[in-house]
Amino acid sequence: MSSIDGGDIRKLVVACDAGMGSSVMLAAQLRRELRKMPVIVEHHAIASIPSDADVVLCQAGLADRVRAGAPRSVVVGFRMFLGDPAVARVVAAVKQGGVVVGTTGG
Amino acid sequence: MTTNVRPVLEVRGIRLHETAADRESAVHRCADVLEELGAVHPTYREAMLDREWAMSTYLGEGVAIPHGLDKSRALVRRDSLVVLRFPDGVDWDGHPVTVCVAIAARGDGHVALLAALAQILLDPERARELRETTDAEAIVAMLSQEDL
Repeated sequence: MSSIDGGDIRKLVVACDAGMGSSVMLAAQLRRELRKMPVIVEHHAIASIPSDADVVLCQAGLADRVRAGAPRSVVVGFRMFLGDPAVARVVAAVKQGGVVVGTTGG
Repeated sequence: MTTNVRPVLEVRGIRLHETAADRESAVHRCADVLEELGAVHPTYREAMLDREWAMSTYLGEGVAIPHGLDKSRALVRRDSLVVLRFPDGVDWDGHPVTVCVAIAARGDGHVALLAALAQILLDPERARELRETTDAEAIVAMLSQEDL
């Protein structure tokens, strides 16, 4: 999928190679920011992204691999673990509504 | 969360006066300390270097979080975090790093600590304290703080 409305997001997954470090941290941040919203935030290694993930956040360089492994999810790439604008847009869409558009290209 | 995070991060895992010529040497030092604490099998070091080579673990605010790969989880003996400070800074792919929070995890025992780290780094004043305090206990306390 290439886009989804923020209000339709029920499961947000942060994916990374190991599912041990960076994705864990970003997921913790998002869980905190979205704790009042009806959204489940999980972190997973790329190889085990659940098929019901509505949106998958990953480092931009991993987006192609994630798209291949999660064809039904909107994949959003980011570059910074702190204060990335792409991540902020997803958070805003969940909270206030608006469309989340998947990142295209690598 | 009621998890007792103490065993994951201990005062003896905090090193305030490290030096490293480059990023690779810094990751080696992180692996040294994890090994010294008995947290990982010696070959975990290779996974840390592979991960770092594949993609930088730089987070922001002068902090990097070296760790292994999914396939190296079996090399972790117990979930552990160690904190190494490099007062002279290490060039991390263009970013100056003075704090490495190195991770060895086979489960989720370290998640609360990483959540605390994220909160610290979002607050410039606390981020500075993490980079500058000379009190190892204070670092353990900062990272062990329960999510508010």
